[in-house]
Amino acid sequence: MNHEPNFDDLVGAETGGAERERLRGAHELLVQAGPPPELTPRLQEAPSFGVARLQPRRRVVKRRALVLLAAALSVVAVFAAGYAVSNQRHGNGTAAIAPVAQLALKGTSFAPKARATLDVWKQQSGNWPMTLSVVGLPRLPQHTYYEVYLVRNGRPWGSCGSFRISGSSGGALTLRLNAPYALQPGDSWVVTRAAPGGEPGKTVLRPVSV
Amino acid sequence: MRKNSGDMEIAIEVPQPRLRAVPASPAPAPTPPLEASDAELLARVGERDREAFEILYGRYVRPVFSLALRRLGDRGHAEDAVQEAFAAIWRSASTYRPERGAAGGWLYTVARNAIVDRLRRNGPSADAELPELVSAEPGPERQAEDSFVSWRVHRALEELQPREREVIELAYWSGMSQSEVAEYLGVPLGTVKTRTRSGLAKLATVLEGESL
Repeated sequence: MNHEPNFDDLVGAETGGAERERLRGAHELLVQAGPPPELTPRLQEAPSFGVARLQPRRRVVKRRALVLLAAALSVVAVFAAGYAVSNQRHGNGTAAIAPVAQLALKGTSFAPKARATLDVWKQQSGNWPMTLSVVGLPRLPQHTYYEVYLVRNGRPWGSCGSFRISGSSGGALTLRLNAPYALQPGDSWVVTRAAPGGEPGKTVLRPVSV
Repeated sequence: MRKNSGDMEIAIEVPQPRLRAVPASPAPAPTPPLEASDAELLARVGERDREAFEILYGRYVRPVFSLALRRLGDRGHAEDAVQEAFAAIWRSASTYRPERGAAGGWLYTVARNAIVDRLRRNGPSADAELPELVSAEPGPERQAEDSFVSWRVHRALEELQPREREVIELAYWSGMSQSEVAEYLGVPLGTVKTRTRSGLAKLATVLEGESL
């Protein structure tokens, strides 16, 4: 941001003397430092370089591995079921409209009460239309927005579209998105905060129940 | 996926390096307190204490990422440099000696070296082949000073209460006025002003007390 905050506006007139100068020093360093970068999803957790000595930690690692395996299997299962249902209906000539996969997402610490459902629809010429229904996301500061990312192998793979929440929507929104990628078993999605020209930002919605 | 079983989360994280076996400790050390000093945490990281490493990571990942972005200018390379910096911290924490200097300074040196190594490995950038032109960019000394100020301030921000830090970040870098910050957060304007003052005061205290 080019906007530089005014120290007197921020601190007001109540604080004076040496304390005011102390605050001014911190203010000037903040202005000089500029904003800290938004952490990418990859950097939001400490990397592992070996097994910790503590037994409880080993159980945590094992449990996380099981969670990841269960999540991956569930996505496979849902996709397989979706394909089967979709193909069966198509084969019977009913052409019923049903998503081939559904994913429930919940808010991270950024928006703990937020919830969303992502429906993935039948492929159309290499595109996977999707519908995202979200509630509880806050309005973001100007020049920032939400972005939906396809996640593969635990990392953001590609953007599937972006959106904003207006003040009048009450944080609720349903919109159409698209995944123009060859989807694979194990693929998942997250919603992140983003800014123009940036990389995937902080995750605000992530998959939940399996 | 939509089922009724208990919530499970899919972590977004890097592929894990190959795990290696470490003999179990006969008497596991207690979890380090969140308020442990950097030096205490480094000592425990030197003994392969994962929890201490995670606390240290939380305190320093943004300063290291900021430093890497300034030097490398590319988020992908900066991410790699952060991983390499923390790998170096994990490997060499046992070599840290408190009597030789503050932990923050040691961490800054290790991070900077990892970033410089990454810069060297990337080879000469396209800019290096451009003809010499008069540049409006600050010189190397000024850049180094700015990087160090950012390191100190971004590290100090980690010491603030989340609600103090939130108003500071919004007030300084979102472009919003304090009234807009109050509306955005849904709190009275007076609360925003109070949190801003207390946040600045705490930052000043942390920056005065640091011994990098």
